[in-house]
Amino acid sequence: MPKLKINGKDVEVPQGSTIIQAFKASGVEICHYCWHPGLSVAGVCRLCMVQIEGIPKLQIACNTEVKEGMVVNNTAQGVQETVKWGLDFHLINHPLDCPICDQAGECGLQDQYMQFGQYDPQMAEHKVKKHKVIDLGPTVVLDSERCILCSRCVRFMDEVSKTHELGIFNRGDRSEIGTVEGKPLANNYSLNTVDICPVGALTSKDFRFRQRVWYLKEADSICPGCSTGCNVKVSYNEEGLWRIKPRENKEVNGYWMCDVGRDSYKFVNLKGRLLGGRVGRRGSWQDVDVVDAARSAGLKLRETVEKFGPDSVALVLTGQFTNEEYKDLLGFFVSNLKSKNVFHWLNNPDKVNEFDGLLFRGDRNPNTKGLVGAMIAAGVSGKWESLQSGLAGKKIKLVLVAGPENQAVFPDLEEKVKFLGQAESLVWMTSGTSTVLDQVMAETWQIPLKTYIEKAGSFTTYQGKVQSFKLGTTIVAQALNLSEVAELLAGRDLNWNLRPGGVGGVKVNYSTAQRGAL
Amino acid sequence: MSLVKRPDAKAEWFLPGILAGLWFTLKKMLWNLFNQQKMQTLNYPEQKYEYGPRFKGNHVLTVKKDGSIRCTACMLCATNCPAQCIKITAAENPDPSVEKYPIAYEIDVLRCVFCGFCEEACPVDAIRMGPEWQTAALNGSKFTYDIQQLAYRPQLKGGVLSVLDDQERHQAGI
Repeated sequence: MPKLKINGKDVEVPQGSTIIQAFKASGVEICHYCWHPGLSVAGVCRLCMVQIEGIPKLQIACNTEVKEGMVVNNTAQGVQETVKWGLDFHLINHPLDCPICDQAGECGLQDQYMQFGQYDPQMAEHKVKKHKVIDLGPTVVLDSERCILCSRCVRFMDEVSKTHELGIFNRGDRSEIGTVEGKPLANNYSLNTVDICPVGALTSKDFRFRQRVWYLKEADSICPGCSTGCNVKVSYNEEGLWRIKPRENKEVNGYWMCDVGRDSYKFVNLKGRLLGGRVGRRGSWQDVDVVDAARSAGLKLRETVEKFGPDSVALVLTGQFTNEEYKDLLGFFVSNLKSKNVFHWLNNPDKVNEFDGLLFRGDRNPNTKGLVGAMIAAGVSGKWESLQSGLAGKKIKLVLVAGPENQAVFPDLEEKVKFLGQAESLVWMTSGTSTVLDQVMAETWQIPLKTYIEKAGSFTTYQGKVQSFKLGTTIVAQALNLSEVAELLAGRDLNWNLRPGGVGGVKVNYSTAQRGAL
Repeated sequence: MSLVKRPDAKAEWFLPGILAGLWFTLKKMLWNLFNQQKMQTLNYPEQKYEYGPRFKGNHVLTVKKDGSIRCTACMLCATNCPAQCIKITAAENPDPSVEKYPIAYEIDVLRCVFCGFCEEACPVDAIRMGPEWQTAALNGSKFTYDIQQLAYRPQLKGGVLSVLDDQERHQAGI
């Protein structure tokens, strides 16, 4: 563990670290573009210059290893001047179209110019014009003029996704990023290049021009897209969610996430959400307050148990909810109702063990492991066949379903809804609306649930790591989580102080509800 | 608690004050009657006051040489607006040299405080505060100005040309 001094501050870093890693570890700011903690060292931007005592010339921090007793600083006059005029070189051909650039607001060039630059440009030549708005593939748009050729995206494709689509073509100031022979940049990790691009050269088609980043707030969360459980930050404002970006966690996802996971903000937004309780059958729905819907479903549930015994009700769970919710709902169902009819609805049993080698897993539920664990802990292991025979033999009268939050990953949704609708009564708890329910003959209660960003809890990843997350924002004020539903089904009252709506839970989030669908 | 002792109202004789006021009014009326050209007031609405060119009146969205709207939907005006009365929806322009443009640009004039910050924030001279100041309308919805109203209302006679032209800037190597 060598020790070194950075700007007079003592820092200890592991053997083999570079100076820039020591800077990051100590929290001292250093200007850099091409270096990224998850990629190899390129040393092309020449901005992370530092002065090392005993070495006459300035060195780049990203490619210089730390030695015992090094004295490093980046505040000397010479370093500051070098960084400043290095920035001028980077900006020679940069178009400065910040007004129409999506990166504006979180751009490395803007930040570092304000921090280290602030010069009067010395360049009298015309800017070199390059290609703009190049369609690289289904997800990414390239603007060559904005590119500063840091090669982060090229290194990402070579080292992380190992698909080698991108390269730098031509020479000198005509160098451009591009794909070989116009081959599209189409892999499941392409949007990571947008994240690591320090300027606005690579922009995401999904997010392009939809919001300026300074209108967005960020909340830390866990991606619900698959059982890997990537750590993410979600950007939202009062109109809903806009994008998902990865958050660093070396044990789970490193610095990356997949493009499929980035779509998991769409089902959270108001379009397609169930906004309140619904009671009825065969498409004739009556809108009721969610608390009343859950209470009347609870009455029916307890009545059924009293009349026909605990085996006449069944609980079907998907792996889309948090450990705490499973515990509360199973606690109510197994301990209070004394029923053992708990079944695990696995959406894609033949793909569960698929893995693409990097992050994306075939099990598209965030918490399958947690559900299995909770069922074992509760001492239930329902076989799907017994549900089939129970429904066919009319032994099971009422089915409670904690349905899919992300309906897109449930290809068997329609088939399963029809199957479960054979019961006399169906309590359908989910966050989204579903037209399939309109064909169900059973008397149905629809109860809106919160999505992952609207509640706190924890998911268990495929490797058994329990990751907890906090509440980010509220999209549907009426929605409940399964723990609250369990309380209401049991006939107890909710702790109104903990609900966002206050007493009665009737407050509607007007800023989101009245703007309509996104 | 101390009380301010006012002079007794009965001790003041009010008639001279009233007569002085009446005399002032009569004097001004007679003067105005015989010197109508030098009168300080206007006979609005027959006569209207001409404000200076820097007057901050109703907003104008400028246009390019081809008549399309100059605004690039950068949202700096909406960000800078202290009354939060500007709402812009950006979209991708089919022309790649334009890239981003507003498909909706709305100003809620009833909320606007006419401070001119939008004009100051605009990097491309796309929004200006014009000389018009008479903004009557029949109902509230007419006070939300859209692109049609802001850029192409009849008073503007086909639109105000922006001083910044992209083609010229490209040729100048900027």
